[in-house]
Amino acid sequence: MAHQAHTSACETYEEDLVLLHYGELSGAERQKLDSHLASCAGCASYLKELATLLPLTVKSDEPPQEFWQNYSRELRGKLDDVAAKKAWWQNFPTIFRPGYVPAFATAAIVVLALTFTLSKTVWDTKSNPQDDEMAEALPVAENLDFFSAMDILDDLELLEFIGSQSNNAA
Amino acid sequence: MACLQAAEGVEAFRRPFLSPSSVSETTKGRESPLTHSGDEELVALAQRGDRQAFEELIERHSQKAYHIAFGFARDREEAKDLSQEAFLKAFAYLKKFDGRSSFYTWFYRIVVNVCLDYKRRAKRTLAGEFDETAESQMDPSYQPAKPLPLDQQVLAGQISLKVDAALQTLPAKQRTAFILKNHQGLAIKEIAEMMQTAEGTVKVHLHRAVTALRLSLAELV
Repeated sequence: MAHQAHTSACETYEEDLVLLHYGELSGAERQKLDSHLASCAGCASYLKELATLLPLTVKSDEPPQEFWQNYSRELRGKLDDVAAKKAWWQNFPTIFRPGYVPAFATAAIVVLALTFTLSKTVWDTKSNPQDDEMAEALPVAENLDFFSAMDILDDLELLEFIGSQSNNAA
Repeated sequence: MACLQAAEGVEAFRRPFLSPSSVSETTKGRESPLTHSGDEELVALAQRGDRQAFEELIERHSQKAYHIAFGFARDREEAKDLSQEAFLKAFAYLKKFDGRSSFYTWFYRIVVNVCLDYKRRAKRTLAGEFDETAESQMDPSYQPAKPLPLDQQVLAGQISLKVDAALQTLPAKQRTAFILKNHQGLAIKEIAEMMQTAEGTVKVHLHRAVTALRLSLAELV
């Protein structure tokens, strides 16, 4: 039996033999192949082999009626889920109704203007180096009184020093 | 010889693909004004948000979608999940469907893509598949056509595993062309539309798939 599987058909006719098996060959091609088959044992054997082998590869299934009832019910449930998920974004385009367009446009312009103004302020603050120097100088300026007080203390120490020197000399 | 007997056993639990008449039988008793509408009409309604129209499309195409998915997954639960996922994708993208192809072609292309995507994700071992087969046979709703003798059941199971393994080794395009032709009996033209390729290319894929399977399953004939 096994040797039949290795029976070789004429290479030029092999594809046509497959098509003939499936009933996809007609007209002149079929007549040509039929006359060839009458005289070629290899091709005839190949065709028989296809007729035995190929039906074995089919595994069909016919579920009972109950299966189809469950199938439909389950699929409807899945469709409900999909429809529910779709609903929120499907409704989204409705906000672009003609009546709402001017309101949304105005709101968008206001938001853009605010964003632009605020961001410009932030950029300006960060980008000006003179402001940074000023920021460093300000604490020093605030402490000018302290420094002048320190000067007075220095003067007092100097006077004490001079006083002590003169006392020593005396 | 034993293999041939087992093949007959396999043949016994094989079912032909449901014909449109049998599909309508399963849905009879469910009459609505939409029942007689064409797919295009239903799609147009569904695109305008008519949920009932989409459900009618589900009723029409669920069995075929399931069977295509079963051809890829070869497991009932997986085939159910995959075909349902395809419907959910179709529902999500329905507004993008422009009608250049038929709804049938567009939808079954989604089914095939979902199945191929699943196959890319799933790395199933032969042992795993055996477990799944056993599980599906323990399922209370699992009903073989007529009980097979135990030895034939075992052989049929072994053949099925070998075929599963052989199909898994095929490249995606070859597997798709093969399943749609061999399992679903679609015309080459339809397969070409679904795969968005030329008919000649489908023929080449089909031939290569058959050649590869013939080598893999040589011992079965």
